[in-house]
Amino acid sequence: MSVIVIEHLARVEGHGGITVELEGDAVTNVRFDVFEGSRLLEPLVRGKRYDEVPPILSRICAICSAAHTLTSLKATEAAFGIRVSPQTELLRELLFRGESIESHALHLFLLAIPDYLNYPGAVALAADKPAAVLLGLRLKKLGNRIQETIGGRAVHPVNALVGGFGKVPALDQLIELRSGLLQAAADADAAIDLMASLPAADFCHSETVYAALRSPHLDSYYLGDEVMVVTDGNRAIVPASDYASLTNEKAVPHSHAKHSSFRGSPFMVGSLARLTVNPRRLTGKLAVAMKRLKLSLPADNPMDNNKAQALELINDVERALEIIEQLLRDGIKDERPMPVQPRAGTGTAITEAPRGLLIHSYQYDADGCVVAADVITPTALNAASMELHFRRGVEQCAEREEAVITKRLQMIARAYDPCISCSVHLVRR
Amino acid sequence: MGKPTVGIFGLTGCAGDQLVILNCEDQLLDLVALIDIRDFLMASSENRTDCPLDVALVEGAVLTNRDAERLRAIRQRSNLLVALGTCAVWGGVAALDRGADRSQLLEEVYGEAGHGYDSSHAQALREIVRVDLNITGCPIEKEHFLAAIAALLNGDTPVYPSYPVCTECRMQENNCLLMERGLPCCGPVTAAGCGARCPDLRVPCIGCRGPMADANPVSLLEVLEQKGFDRRQAAARLRTFAPEGVA
Repeated sequence: MSVIVIEHLARVEGHGGITVELEGDAVTNVRFDVFEGSRLLEPLVRGKRYDEVPPILSRICAICSAAHTLTSLKATEAAFGIRVSPQTELLRELLFRGESIESHALHLFLLAIPDYLNYPGAVALAADKPAAVLLGLRLKKLGNRIQETIGGRAVHPVNALVGGFGKVPALDQLIELRSGLLQAAADADAAIDLMASLPAADFCHSETVYAALRSPHLDSYYLGDEVMVVTDGNRAIVPASDYASLTNEKAVPHSHAKHSSFRGSPFMVGSLARLTVNPRRLTGKLAVAMKRLKLSLPADNPMDNNKAQALELINDVERALEIIEQLLRDGIKDERPMPVQPRAGTGTAITEAPRGLLIHSYQYDADGCVVAADVITPTALNAASMELHFRRGVEQCAEREEAVITKRLQMIARAYDPCISCSVHLVRR
Repeated sequence: MGKPTVGIFGLTGCAGDQLVILNCEDQLLDLVALIDIRDFLMASSENRTDCPLDVALVEGAVLTNRDAERLRAIRQRSNLLVALGTCAVWGGVAALDRGADRSQLLEEVYGEAGHGYDSSHAQALREIVRVDLNITGCPIEKEHFLAAIAALLNGDTPVYPSYPVCTECRMQENNCLLMERGLPCCGPVTAAGCGARCPDLRVPCIGCRGPMADANPVSLLEVLEQKGFDRRQAAARLRTFAPEGVA
């Protein structure tokens, strides 16, 4: 038996590795090892008042901190029966878009693209191709500016509260964001050019099950309470209240991330899943860009998630602009958060973090203190699917040279854009 | 003299402080021209894991034996060790469990599988090794990181505010959330440096930068009690980010 071990994955968030065991040419075992320490944040919010929960659980992960915050708010508001204003919903969607732009730009330009061009990282890439890195940094900065303007800070937003916002952005701040977004449209197009010019990553094919938020607005990361699972053309719907049937999480000894499956199959969440579940988004500029990237859906190659992220960059910039136009048209109102009246009960929220489905579910007592909290993150949902694709990647690799296999495995891992801090989370049974 | 060699490391945490470094979009390429980053796993797959370093920047808390071993190894190879962010400086939110039965928490969450996990109480870096400079914040402020690099390049050490968030808030002439609106604001005991970001947005300070030196939490607890808060819960609130810093 031979063993291939990637001790510590580079250019991903958090601490994880990959182990592959081979018997001759046959793959006998594949593991995505997660050794990120367990912070046990979910049991630690027990007894905390509702206003303390979002900032604590936001610390699960910095890169997805806006998504964690907003999903937390949505779950608490569901538990207390609070309906926020349409303006708050728009501002929250805008905050999601800012996070998605920042996160996708960071992942594509600083972490993933160096692989395709055989660079160890963005610093080395910048020495030879500064324009590519600067393009990524510009988009990333724009995403952060949106998060700073709406959320009050780029990492761990402070301005989003149960019921609304501390302070809504001023008119001139929105106008400034609009001009930034208008300039970014060209950058998002340039990102497609760059992606289209990369060598094909064609070394892992597998039938894949996809899951994403089914939103009444087709194109929302925030609104909606159902998950759609697409298997081989068949569609199944899972309501938020029944999220356990989607995840079927089980703890495994080699990983601090629990593994998920839907009706026995691992499934993939994230950009590629979102486009697969909501294909009606893919019109106009997006349809043209999709052709240029030679992407067809449903895809059978997990590496296509990088293409899907590039498409979402275009879409996020367009959607953020639409939201700002609407806010400017309606006139931004200096709203205060809705009054909060805690009550005993349970609230579950499902949203789309940059890396895919994110679920927060809380049980509260009558004073508005947490009795139980459960958080299911995209990277935890993806863990079983990643292992499946690692296995396919090794099986389909004609060369048995370790360096080739190792590089492919790392590229597959990075295509998932794993966020390992996120994946380490604790679920009460 | 050549460029100073630097390593950037994350122990257990949210990677937020490393993200703040990557968020210096306008300075990043200039920065990598001034310093020689030898080891930065989050950003590069070619790292020198054994070379001596002039400066090690370490974020996150120590939660596993693996974390502790990595930290000792980093200390050994580094001239200066900088704790980056509230988790590294104080323990951070993961240290909320001090006093709880960790094995029970693990079992509750992971079931039987939890018994074998490498996992212990969150510790700040200074509880394991000598730390030369603390840059607090959850996450750190971009400007504080850049100031530290600039100072270190000039053989200097950066100076951060020694007063509370309250002072910064007053300088901005905000109405007091604590005294006037009775909100649970941690501004009087929390280290400044954020420009009173939260109270400036009418959001009470949650203490994410950890306590300032010479904080008087007892007096704040008395005020909170007068405002109708349960003393035990209020004290727990003050300890959210720094278990030992505040009474």
